[in-house]
Parts: sequence; C-alpha cells; structure tokens
Amino acid sequence: MDTVLGLAGAGAGLAAMGAGLGIGKLAASAVESIARQPEASGDIRGAMILTAALIEGAALFAIVVCLLFKLI
Amino acid sequence: MYKKILIYCIAFLLPFAFAHANDPEQHAEGGKKFEAGKEIMHHILDSHEWHFFDMPQGNGKYSPVALDLPWILYSKENGLAFYTSTEILNESGIYHAAHNKVHALKTGEPATHETHTDVAVHGEPHEANIDENVKVYDFSMTKTSLQMLLVGIALLLVFTSVARGYSKNKGKAPSGIQSFMEPIVMFVRDMSKEYLGKNHERFLPYQLTVFFFIWFSNLLGLMPFNSNIMGNFTVTCMLAVISFFLINVNGTKDYWKHIIAMPGVPKWVLIILTPVELLGIFIKPVALAIRLFANISAGHFMVLALVSLIFILGKSGESIGGAVAGGVLGVAFSLFIFTLEMLVAILQAYIFTLLTTVFIGMSMASHDDHAHGHDEHHATPVQHSEVNKDLRMSDFGVS
Repeated sequence: MDTVLGLAGAGAGLAAMGAGLGIGKLAASAVESIARQPEASGDIRGAMILTAALIEGAALFAIVVCLLFKLI
Repeated sequence: MYKKILIYCIAFLLPFAFAHANDPEQHAEGGKKFEAGKEIMHHILDSHEWHFFDMPQGNGKYSPVALDLPWILYSKENGLAFYTSTEILNESGIYHAAHNKVHALKTGEPATHETHTDVAVHGEPHEANIDENVKVYDFSMTKTSLQMLLVGIALLLVFTSVARGYSKNKGKAPSGIQSFMEPIVMFVRDMSKEYLGKNHERFLPYQLTVFFFIWFSNLLGLMPFNSNIMGNFTVTCMLAVISFFLINVNGTKDYWKHIIAMPGVPKWVLIILTPVELLGIFIKPVALAIRLFANISAGHFMVLALVSLIFILGKSGESIGGAVAGGVLGVAFSLFIFTLEMLVAILQAYIFTLLTTVFIGMSMASHDDHAHGHDEHHATPVQHSEVNKDLRMSDFGVS
C-alpha cells in the first residue's frame, strides 16, 4: 500500500512537471507574439487562457487518478 | 418582497437548527490526535449536517454547533419519510444511517426488535439486520444542495436589482451594482458572439446563468462556514450533462458526418478515427466536469492543508512554539492561496462557459456558414496596418 501511495505521489509530481513545461512553453510563445504584435494581444491572451485550461485539464486528470489511489 | 423570502428561508431552516450536544464517540477529549487527511476530507465532502464549529464545554469536551439538515427518504415499501438528525433516523426502526449512507432495516420479527435497541446503543446494526432488498432513495437536502439554494437566492437578489436598474436608469448611466455587473455580462456576451456568431442570442441566457452560478458558488465556497459546491463531483457532472446535450442536440449534419465518417480520409484510417471521435463526444463533457471539480477542490485542499500546519507543527497542542510557527506559515500561505482562489473562481467559471461555447460553436459550424469566421475578420485589419506601415517606411526612405 505504501508503495502505491509513493507511486501516486511521484505520478502527481510528474503530472505537475508536464503541465508546468506545457504552460511555460505556451506562455513564452504568447509573450513573444504579443511583443511582436501588440495589436493582437487581446486575441492572443484569449487563446492562451483557453490552451492553458486544456493543458491544466490534462494535468488534473493525472492528479485525480493519483487521488483515487489515495482514497481507494 | 426580499424580506419575505428571507423570512421563509429562516422559517424553513429553524426546525432543523438544533445542536446535538453529546456525540461522545466522534468528539472525544481535547488531547485527541489530529489527523490532517481525515479532517480535510470532512470539510471537503458533502454531509447531512452543516457543521459550524465545536464549542468547548469546559471539561475538555467539545459539543458541535451544527445545523441538522432533514433526511428525506423514499422506498417503495415505506413511502416518503422525513427525519431530522441521525439519532432520530436510527431510532425510527425503519432506517439506519451510517457514514452518510442509509440502509433499510428488517422489520416485523420479534427477534429483530431487540437488535434495534442494539442499534441505538452501538450505532452499528448487525449485518443480518440490514434489508438489502429494500432500495432506499435518499432525497435529503444536504449541505451542498442547501448551499446551492443560497447561491440561487443570491443570484436572484443581485440580478433582479441589476435588472431593475435598467428600467430605473433608462437612458442614463448605470449605477450601483448594475455598473459592476454590466461589464461582466458584456464580457460573456462578447465571448459568446465570437464563437457562435449570429446564433449567440439563443445560448446567451444559459451561458450567463452557468457563468454567474459557478462564479457565485466558488466565491461563496471561499467564505468561512460555507461548502464548496463546485468541489462536489455530482454538481459539476450535472453541469457537464447539460453541456453534453447542448453540444449534441445542436449538432449539424456536418458535425455528425465528421464524427461518423470524416470526409477526405482513407477508409482504413476510419477504423481508428471513428471510435476516437465517438469517444470524444463523451470525453469533452467529462473533461469539463473534472476540470472544474479538480480545480476547486484542489484549492480547498491547499487551504485546509496549510491550516492543518498549525496542528501538525503544534503536535495537537503539545508544542506551542510549533503551533505559532505553523500559524504564521499557514496564515501567510493560505492568504496567498485565497487570493489565487479568488482569481480561479472567476477563471474557472469563464473557462467552463468558454469551452461549452467553443464546443457548441464547433458542433454548429457547417461548411457554408463558418461560425469561427471571426478569425479572418480579426486578422485582416492587422495585416492592413502592417502593409501600411511598410509603405510608409518605404515612402520615408524614398523621401
């Protein structure tokens, strides 16, 4: 049981790492594009939030799976 | 009128507002070991009582101050029945409740009558005494459903006063709460217009309702003594089911054609693609529900874990220095998380509404009528200005 819990914790960490990388890359390109084209900053921001939500959703799936291990 | 509503609400709740003073098994003496995980789950999960705080009785014992919510049970055999607190429910001899789950008890036999008193004493019925054949439907008003009603009342109060503002300030600038809500309503409307085009007016009432419902319940969930509605998976699931129907009922012929047999794709690829697309119909709303649920309950987990630091570092009251350190740490970090959660509250409401809108827009798009044609519309002025800039630059260079 303890091994499962440890693995669940490691899984949560990995999910956070993946999501962090994803959102970091997204934010970097968004900021770059806003710097390149400040007129389009509104559209870029909207697209950025939408994509960040989708990436975060994938990470939260992993977190929920890890939580299930803890609860079951 | 609002006073009347309030009085009705209070009159409805008062009969259930009695504190069950002695619950010795659950609330033992003060030196009890603190279990962070258990305590956090107690705060996160739905329950049949609205627990506010534990009142110290002076002799090292605590009595909970809580609002007991009614148990409304239905079974084919016993009909509809109302009970107040768990004790009364257990003493009824018909049902037994343990860990928020209700079982029907076997009745009629004299032998079981003795075990009924057993139930009242030990709190756990004999396995044989539970009648598995009786299906009990639990329609009880739980903490979450009551909180949802409160959010509904808050929405009614706020938005009727906003709506009254429009008849009162006709032709004038908005005032009061109206001027606070107007930009937010406009924000949701513009988002809707962007993805749904000319169809947006059909969906706007639903979008505004779901946006403000999620936002208000998230904000209310951050306040002390309130439960987190969107941290309850059932609630987000139902919201997602509504989204599911909105997406698929409004699906055009093109939408279904792209799911069942994607045009322009080799036949053998369809063997893989069609099941994936069919699964995608269900994954979209499931992802919506999980995203909202996980975001909100994760925020509550974090705040509660930080507050638990006081008790963990204080070793359940043994080390005062540890408790003070935990208090300083906990308050500082939970203040940060609370501020973040205020942002997350509106962000998640926005994302739920936005994604529902995007999916509806995708299902309603057909080849001759692109609901997402706004992209080109937005892109053109930017390109023009760039071309103009280049021209001016070259003009400057020539002159």
